[in-house]
Amino acid sequence: MARVTLKGVNKSFGKVEVIRDVDLEIDNGEFVVFVGPSGCGKSTLLRLISGLENLSSGEIFIADRPVTDLPPSKRGIAMVFQSYALYPHMTVFHNMAFSLDLEGKSKKEIRERVEAAAKILQMEHLLDRRPAALSGGQRQRVAIGRAIVRNPDVFLFDEPLSNLDAALRHDTRVEIAKLHRQLEATTIYVTHDQVEAMTLADKIVVLKDGEVMQVGTPMELFHTPANEFVAGFLGSPKMNFFDGVLASASDNSGHFNGEGLDIEGVRLVSTTKNNGDQIRLGIRPQHLAFDPDGPLKGTITLVEQLGTETVLELVTDHGTPFRFASPENVEVLVGQLVAFRFDPQSAHLF
Amino acid sequence: MTRTFRNVVLALIVVIWVLPFIALVTTSLRSETASKTSGFWTAFTPTELGHRFGTHDKGKTEPFVTMSGNIFERLNHDRESYEVAGDVTSILFKGRLPDPDKPGKTKLIRKLIFAGEVMDVRGGEFVFQSSGDFTWTFPEATAPKPKNLDAFINQSPVFGTDAYIEVLFENKNVPNALISSFIVTIPATIIPITIAAFAAYAFAWMRFPGRDWLFVIVVSLMVVPTQLAFLPVLQGFSGIASWATSLNAWMTDCEITKTCQVASKSFASLWVTHTAFGLPLAIYLLRNYIVGLPKELLESARIDGASHLKIFTRLIIPLSVPALASFSIFQFLWVWNDLIVALYIGPADAADLVFPIRLQKQLGTFKDQLHLLNASAVISMIVPVIVFLSMQRYFVRGLLAGSVKGG
Repeated sequence: MARVTLKGVNKSFGKVEVIRDVDLEIDNGEFVVFVGPSGCGKSTLLRLISGLENLSSGEIFIADRPVTDLPPSKRGIAMVFQSYALYPHMTVFHNMAFSLDLEGKSKKEIRERVEAAAKILQMEHLLDRRPAALSGGQRQRVAIGRAIVRNPDVFLFDEPLSNLDAALRHDTRVEIAKLHRQLEATTIYVTHDQVEAMTLADKIVVLKDGEVMQVGTPMELFHTPANEFVAGFLGSPKMNFFDGVLASASDNSGHFNGEGLDIEGVRLVSTTKNNGDQIRLGIRPQHLAFDPDGPLKGTITLVEQLGTETVLELVTDHGTPFRFASPENVEVLVGQLVAFRFDPQSAHLF
Repeated sequence: MTRTFRNVVLALIVVIWVLPFIALVTTSLRSETASKTSGFWTAFTPTELGHRFGTHDKGKTEPFVTMSGNIFERLNHDRESYEVAGDVTSILFKGRLPDPDKPGKTKLIRKLIFAGEVMDVRGGEFVFQSSGDFTWTFPEATAPKPKNLDAFINQSPVFGTDAYIEVLFENKNVPNALISSFIVTIPATIIPITIAAFAAYAFAWMRFPGRDWLFVIVVSLMVVPTQLAFLPVLQGFSGIASWATSLNAWMTDCEITKTCQVASKSFASLWVTHTAFGLPLAIYLLRNYIVGLPKELLESARIDGASHLKIFTRLIIPLSVPALASFSIFQFLWVWNDLIVALYIGPADAADLVFPIRLQKQLGTFKDQLHLLNASAVISMIVPVIVFLSMQRYFVRGLLAGSVKGG
C-alpha cells in the first residue's frame, strides 16, 4: 500500500512528445484507471511508472520514495501485461516463484508465498501445469498471481482483459474488483474500455494526446465533465452536441442559442467564452425525455431495440444527428417526428 | 496437376540425394570381389556367378562306391563371411568323350550339365540337384582324387561387415581420424555458439552506442570467403607459435629434451579458425531469432528483478533451443566435412588427420578396394546423421505456446 505521486512528468520519443506535464496524486489503496483513446499515452504513462521507460523530465514517487532513477524491480511494483507474458518453459509454480527466486528467498518461503497467492486466486490445482495447457482466463489469472506473489506496493495492469472474450472479460473484471477489495493495494489500471473504467475505478484519469483531461470519480466525470472530450468519451451512447452561440452568461450557467433551441440556465463548463462566442451544447441521450411541446425536435432515422434499452438515432431540422436512449421499450417508427425536453442543469456548454 | 508435378519433382530430388548413399552403403557391405566385378544395383537380386569347388578334401583316401555331399558346403567350408547360397543351375563339364564322327577316338568337350543330368567324372556318375546336393557313384569301391568343378550358381544376395571390421580394427587410421574429427568438431561447434548466443542477445535487447552499425559489420563479414583469409590467418598462427615457442623455452626446461617447438598448425588453431568463420552466421541467425521473442516476456522478467545475465540464462537460452539446435547442426556439418581449412591450418601429423583428409588419402591407398573406401566414407557420414537425428527433437514447434496471447 502506497501513495504514488507524479510531478511534471514528460516523455518524448525523439521529437514526438508522448506525455506532457502530467501531475498526479494517487492515494493509498486507490484503484485508479487511466482511460483514453488509443495513442493517448496511457500505456506509456503506466510504463513510466513501472520503470520500463525512462522519464524525459519530471519525478515519480512511490510510497514517498523517489523512484525516478530506480530499475523496475526496485520500485515496489508488479505489472500484469495485456499479453500475459508468462514464461512458457516454466510451470505455473515457477512462473510465480521466479521473482522470489531471483531475490534469493528460501525454498520454504517461496512455496508458502506462491501457495498463498494461488489460494487467493483459487488456482492451486494449476500450479504444476505449463502455460500452454491453460485457457486464456487461467493464463491471465497466473499473470495476476505472479504479481500478487511479489507483494508489491502498487499493482499495474496494462489492458489485462483485452485478450479475453466478452463473457470471460466480465467475470475477470468482477474478480479484479474483488481482489482489490481483498488486498487493498494501490492499483493503476490502463484500459480503453470505458465500461471497465466506470465499473472498476475509484478514480478515473482521462488522457488525450499525452495530457490529462480530467481526474475524478466515475460519477464526477459522468455528470460534470471538464471538457467536451471527456463528455464525449465517457457514456454510451455518446453525448449529443449542438453548435450555437452563448447569448449570455452568469457565474456558472449560460444561455444557449442555436439549432432552433433557446435555453437558459445551462451548466457552463467553459471559462473562456464571452457573450456572443460560438459554443457547443452537450446533452446525454439518457437525459432527454419525450414531450410533444419540448424544444428539441427530430426525425427518427433508426431504431435500435437492445432489450435493456432503446436507442433512437435522429436528425434535427438543421441536419444535426443526435441520439435518444431510454430504458423502456419505445414504440416509434422510422421517419416519425418527435420532440424532447431536458433539464438545462443536466446539459453542458463547452 | 501441379500437385502431382510437385510430388514427382520432390520424389526425383529425394532419389537423386539418396541414391549415392545407397550405393555407398551397399558397396561397403559387399565382398571385395563382388564390389569389384559388378555394380551395386546387382547386389539385391540373385546373380548367376561361377564358383569352383573341389569334390572332397585331398587327404581323404578311403574307397567308396557312392559319395554324397553338398556343393554349398564344399564352397563355404573355408569362408567366414559372404557365404554362397542359392540354386546351382549348371556345372561346366570339361573332358574327353568318344567322338561320334571318328570311332575309337575321343574328343575334348565343354558342355553345361544341368541339375539332375548324369555327368562322367573320373569314371563315376556325378549327379547334382539345384539345392547343391550331389552324389558320385562308381561301379565298385574306388578312392578317386578330388576333382575341381566349375558350378554356375544363381546366387542369393549376400552382405557382410568385413570391410567395416577391416577399416576400424586392422589399422588405426580410421579410428584416429574419427577421434581427431571429434576433437576438432565438438569445440568448434560449442565455442562459436556460446559466443554467438551472448552476442545475439546483446544485439537484440541491449542498448549500446553503435549497436546497429556493429551488427551490419558482423553480418557483412559473412561474405568474406575462407580462402581469402588463409594467408593472414596462417601468418598469425605461426607468429603466435614462435612466440609460444620462446615462452616455452624460457618458462620450462624443454631445451634438454628438445621439445620446445610449438606447432603453428594444431587443433586449437582449427578451433579458432572455425569459430571465427562460423560466428557471423551464428550471430545473425540467433539475433534474428532472439529479437523475435516477445518483448513483454523480457519486460516481465525485468520487473521480476532479473538482470541481463539472468534473463539470458533463464529465459533466452531455454526459449532459443530450436535456433541453437539448428545452428549447431549447421556448424557441426560444416566443420565435420571441412577439408580445406583442416588441410591448411589443421595438425599435419598422420595420427591427427581429420576424417576428410583421411578419406582423401584413402582414395590413393584403397584405389582397388572400393568396399574399404566406401566403408570409411559411410563411417564418416554416419556421425552427422546421428547428430542430426538426435538434434531433431529440439526442433519443437510452438515452443512459445502459452506465453503470450491466444495460442
